[in-house]
Amino acid sequence: MDTLRLYRKSMAMLLKSQMQYPASFLMQTLAQLVMESGELMAVILLVDRFDHLNQWTAGNLYFFFGLMSMTFYLTECFARGITGAFSGMVRSGQLDTLLLRPRGVLTQVLCSAVDPRRITCIAVGTFSFGLGSRLSGVAWTVEKALIILESIVCGFWLIMGLFMIEAILCIHSVKSIELANALTYGGRSACEYPIDTFPRPLRMLFTVIAPFALVMHVPAAWVLGKPLFGWPGWTAAVTPMAGIILFGVMYLLFQRAMRFYRSTGS
Amino acid sequence: MAFIEVENLNKQFIIRKKREKGQLMRPKEEISALREVSFQVNQGELVGYIGPNGAGKSTTVKILSGILTPDSGCVSVDGLVPWADRKAHVRRIGVVFGQRSQLWWDVPIADSFALLKEIYHVPEAAYQARMGELTEALQLGDLMRTPLRLLSLGQRMRAELCGSLLHSPSLLFLDEPTIGLDAVSKLTLREFLQWENRQRGTTILLTTHDMEDITALCSRVMVLGHGRKLYDGELTDLLARYDTERIITARYEEEISGTAWPEGCQIRRNGENWIITYAPKKIPTAEMMARMQQAGHLRECTVQPQNVDRLIARMYQEMEL
Repeated sequence: MDTLRLYRKSMAMLLKSQMQYPASFLMQTLAQLVMESGELMAVILLVDRFDHLNQWTAGNLYFFFGLMSMTFYLTECFARGITGAFSGMVRSGQLDTLLLRPRGVLTQVLCSAVDPRRITCIAVGTFSFGLGSRLSGVAWTVEKALIILESIVCGFWLIMGLFMIEAILCIHSVKSIELANALTYGGRSACEYPIDTFPRPLRMLFTVIAPFALVMHVPAAWVLGKPLFGWPGWTAAVTPMAGIILFGVMYLLFQRAMRFYRSTGS
Repeated sequence: MAFIEVENLNKQFIIRKKREKGQLMRPKEEISALREVSFQVNQGELVGYIGPNGAGKSTTVKILSGILTPDSGCVSVDGLVPWADRKAHVRRIGVVFGQRSQLWWDVPIADSFALLKEIYHVPEAAYQARMGELTEALQLGDLMRTPLRLLSLGQRMRAELCGSLLHSPSLLFLDEPTIGLDAVSKLTLREFLQWENRQRGTTILLTTHDMEDITALCSRVMVLGHGRKLYDGELTDLLARYDTERIITARYEEEISGTAWPEGCQIRRNGENWIITYAPKKIPTAEMMARMQQAGHLRECTVQPQNVDRLIARMYQEMEL
């Protein structure tokens, strides 16, 4: 509770500080809108040309795209400290100041940045999700809504966990951001499409290593009434937990890495 | 047991150099930042920590404040091991890095302080009382609504001090607090530190390159070089070892020439001023004065001790730092 209170207060302050530069904020928000609309346009063009992908109709594809887009940008918005700011904090030595305060390092990293510009990306995602749900004729029930909510929440932790790989490498002063990016941004771009459209190695990658398929595609496919691989209904409620497990593992590795932290000169 | 206990502290850093042609691995170089450093500090002491760049001062501060873990050695601050009990430990300390800000850049400093209050769980009543005290002592009243980025360096340093003291720590670390400050700001800062030390008995450990800081504030200094502790004691005792020269500045009524100055003293002329550096142990001041009077009508003359920075430079030289 106490941590949430701190998070809320930090967010309020950070938003205030971002609004110190309103013009820049507005421009960047618009830029984000153009960028994410471009991504959606790719799906629209695909559907326009091929009408459907395997068993997935146009509506289904918008649905998958929307779910990924909402989840990914919610994470980028509220966990910006981990998804974007962390490596810079290590290199500049700003991490030292966090260690000087009686709160957890990860808590403070999360409290140190927010990215409200992503709001337009989230809006595009929501639009696509709504459109997909309507075109696919999803009959919403409480269970379906809860499953989607679970998928988004677990997806949030999954994406944060994946971004923490970069943070952990960064503490060990290895700069191999590209590797981590393949899983985070690469995972986002790939898993906007359902997993069974991919060849086996990629399927393994996004099921076992970066389990986007378990967290998003299994529940989404169930909601669409086309269970992935014919798995039974209860799996839709269980597999998203993989995201939380991944985060848990990364959290432990992160704590271990912090013991190796060596600070920078001053 | 003393307030701060440090025993046989060691810390090495491994630097990986750039790979040369024909080498398979990047060569490693081990740098000992601290070697067998031991000391004790009592509650309420104001200790200066000096040494040339790269001597290990900041490393010590970082270990004592819980940021870094040493390779070996024992540290206890008020009964706690900094890196092992980090959260409990940092609740009781304040740290100011002269070159690194702890406040938020774009928001009014009052908002930064309010958030720090949240982070440190300072109760409202205690916060109000402490803020009142600090804003007055640091003259921050008019600046509270100004964002940090619009403050001058001196104002910013005062704000940083306020931020790191508002949870009333019993130990304060200052890493080069007066770096880049003008004379007035330096004086205010020093006065404030003395006030805080006397008023609340806060133990203060400061690293600096500014000898004025040390002479004005600290009765005790520790000298660190190449990671080893070289001296620990009173500043005056340390300086006495190197303080062997005096400087006389003299002016004459008329132009003088052909004077036979004693051997072993250095003479320089700067306009009308004659500047004479001599060692009283070799040439007694009385003899020096007699010679000067023989030379002509002395209008005025002052005798000064050697500049402290020079003494420290000489000390570093003799210690081969």
